[in-house]
Amino acid sequence: MNDMTLSDAKRGHSADAVFDARIAAASVEADGVLSLHLASLSGSALPRWTPGAHIDVILPNGLVRQYSLCGDPDLATWRIGVLREPASRGGSKCIHDEMAVGDRIQLAGPRNNFKLVDAERYLFIAGGIGITPILAMIRQVAAAGLPWTLLYGGRTRSSMAFLDEIAGFAGGDVHIAPQDECGLLDLQRFLGQQQQGMAVFCCGPGPLIDAVEDKCRTWMPGSLHRERFAPSNRPPLPKGAFEVELARSRQRLTVPAHRSLLAVLQEAGHSVTHSCTAGICGTCLVKVLAGVPQHNDDVLSDEEREAGGVMLVCVSRSDSELLVLDL
Amino acid sequence: MVDVRRVRGGDGLQEINAEIDEILDAVVEKTRHATVEFFVAYDKNPDPKVLAAWLAPRAWREIDYVFLLNEQIRRYGLNFSRTHITLLAKQSFQEAEHYEAVGKAIESLGGIVPTIVPASAKPWSDFLWDCLERHPLAAIAAWNVSETSASGSFEPTFEAGERHGFDEVVRVYRQIETDEKFHVGLGRQILSRYAKTDQDREEILRAMRGMRDIAWTTFTPESVVIENA
Ligand code: FES
Ligand SMILES: [Fe+2]
Ligand SMILES: [Fe+2]
Repeated sequence: MNDMTLSDAKRGHSADAVFDARIAAASVEADGVLSLHLASLSGSALPRWTPGAHIDVILPNGLVRQYSLCGDPDLATWRIGVLREPASRGGSKCIHDEMAVGDRIQLAGPRNNFKLVDAERYLFIAGGIGITPILAMIRQVAAAGLPWTLLYGGRTRSSMAFLDEIAGFAGGDVHIAPQDECGLLDLQRFLGQQQQGMAVFCCGPGPLIDAVEDKCRTWMPGSLHRERFAPSNRPPLPKGAFEVELARSRQRLTVPAHRSLLAVLQEAGHSVTHSCTAGICGTCLVKVLAGVPQHNDDVLSDEEREAGGVMLVCVSRSDSELLVLDL
Repeated sequence: MVDVRRVRGGDGLQEINAEIDEILDAVVEKTRHATVEFFVAYDKNPDPKVLAAWLAPRAWREIDYVFLLNEQIRRYGLNFSRTHITLLAKQSFQEAEHYEAVGKAIESLGGIVPTIVPASAKPWSDFLWDCLERHPLAAIAAWNVSETSASGSFEPTFEAGERHGFDEVVRVYRQIETDEKFHVGLGRQILSRYAKTDQDREEILRAMRGMRDIAWTTFTPESVVIENA
């Protein structure tokens, strides 16, 4: 329990552990944007989080996607906003098309690499679905009665999520700028000159962040905080390769096409009992927590293969990009 | 959870699977019983030399498997797939490791590691080699029963190990227990892949029944013969 705070421990989660939750509610927030409310199975509160935090969602097809939490940290449930990405390789597509209220969903986290810092005032810049972490930040800053400005761009007004919610926050100077009405965000106007005591938080697609970084070059170092989201821009794995995540250590390993999962695990220092390395003895059995194993052994029963809850790591591989193993 | 008797890869045993399982269950039970009896006697007079002598025929089994597997491959191997040749060779290598490990355990108890067949293991060894002469699958069938028999001895051995603190023996047999799952599964897969005719099945059953009546006998307290160096 070394890495857990006492309050985490009481709530029964470490930030690294994968756990089951359920989709308690879902709503359409804009064209192609769905928000999901996530709740624990027992009804107890999910772990606490702070604005800027994200979670891992482990999808039934084995893909793992990160989403920023965008709800109210004081609530027992979490909320994420999911954009249907046109080039989705099964992440957002799976959530939009295959998941429904009541379904179980595997989560891990929260973790925060984009923390709100103390400042006299705030400039928030969001592009598209990048509004999600910013939304939670605005909620906190508005509640604290601090001055804030939001510059929020999107393709079209109807594609921009949470507009009503934003309008309900106090103390803000809000600029909604759909590209088809206003063109690109007028960064020069807001960032052309360093403003004393102001912290800038930006989240959105790469080109927006690049442009903001460029404008902030003359600002005091440390003024700009940004989170890039380009989850699906990662190059696909080579053919035949797959990734495994070890749930207990959170370690990620890539299994190349020509190597066995057992060999990769051993090389990374994990001892797994084994004997035949041919899928016959069954001694290298490992529990699968998420993902779709590709069974190449000779000894699991049809039921065990179908259920997908275990695999023999000496010969079996993965039909999904990622497997989460109970190791 | 995993049952190596249900290994995939052939259907040549379909009609006799039930009888084979009965034979295997019977030999496991007899061996378990013989092992329990041995340790009941041992508890009364825990002499490490007696334990070493009890292990001696089992060390012989390990090295005799090496000889037999290699001869099996030399004589009949080219009728098997290359994968099966590799796996039989792998089994042979592991049996050599077992001979080495059981040998060390015997020496740590002050015993002598056999380098010729011990009298108590002679019927077992003779039967196995006779099977090899008779039919390409008969020796595999016989040693499949013999390998399976050992699984009846593991639990009582581990329990006694805790009582008497012979940790090295327990450690060695934990590894052997893992490897035996492979050897038992491999044997069953080869038999079911290559058994084609009723005569094949008859030879397999004959070998298995014969080994069922022999394999457990070297586990009894009465089988122990202490040799002096
Ligand atoms: S090591 Fe034997 S099945 Fe994997
Ligand atoms: Fe052995
Ligand atoms: Fe063996």
